[in-house]
Amino acid sequence: MKVDLIDNNGVTVVSPSGEIDMYSSPELRKQLLTLIKKKTSTIIIALHDVTYIDSSGIATFVEALKRMMPYKGKLKIAEVPESIMRIFNFSKLDKVFEMYESVDDAIKG
Amino acid sequence: MTEQVVLRVASHPKYLSVVRAVAVLTAELYGLCRQDVEDIRSAIDEACSNVIRHAYKGDTQRQIVIGFRCLEDSFEVTIEDDAPKTSLSDLKQRNLDEVRVGGLGLHIIKKVFDSIAYDETKQGGNRLILVRTIRRSNES
Repeated sequence: MKVDLIDNNGVTVVSPSGEIDMYSSPELRKQLLTLIKKKTSTIIIALHDVTYIDSSGIATFVEALKRMMPYKGKLKIAEVPESIMRIFNFSKLDKVFEMYESVDDAIKG
Repeated sequence: MTEQVVLRVASHPKYLSVVRAVAVLTAELYGLCRQDVEDIRSAIDEACSNVIRHAYKGDTQRQIVIGFRCLEDSFEVTIEDDAPKTSLSDLKQRNLDEVRVGGLGLHIIKKVFDSIAYDETKQGGNRLILVRTIRRSNES
């Protein structure tokens, strides 16, 4: 897994690629916690290049969301492939996260 | 003798990608439909992650043996470890209406497999037996 970060006027787009599993999710968690420590106001996670995600990957997003709540930061999920969307639907987390079709929509939303 | 595929890996998370790849190739070889192949990949990954995280408590130097076989109308996966005995009641899952970290893996396993059981006859360690009724790709 590789993680690209792009900062856009206080909005940080995090784009992991490849497979997110128990082996790779600690790296994604580290990157997200670094942003949260800096109280990044909006983090958009773009999942278009993610080919697989397990429960540890989903747990990483849940943890990030909870850690952003105290400072009213926003965590948005965008460009979710159909196969990845199934796990969000199944875990009912599609109702918890702000989900967007595109990164542009997430920036505007 | 029923043909089977057996994979033995160290209990290091870096091998989970190998487990997933073999799970996909074996399920495809046995003619399972695409959606079921993806579901089985997730469930086996979660089951092996649980062994590493809970049974072996993060010890990456142990071993996990995964067996795949196709019976007449079902796909069976066995996952063996040499950790202390576990029972299904030891496995934790969260209420899906709760928003919290962890506890999702067992839900995924239960959703994918029709039958989940520990082999009580195994001497030493655990053998988790997962069985899924087959919907072949030409039936989907």
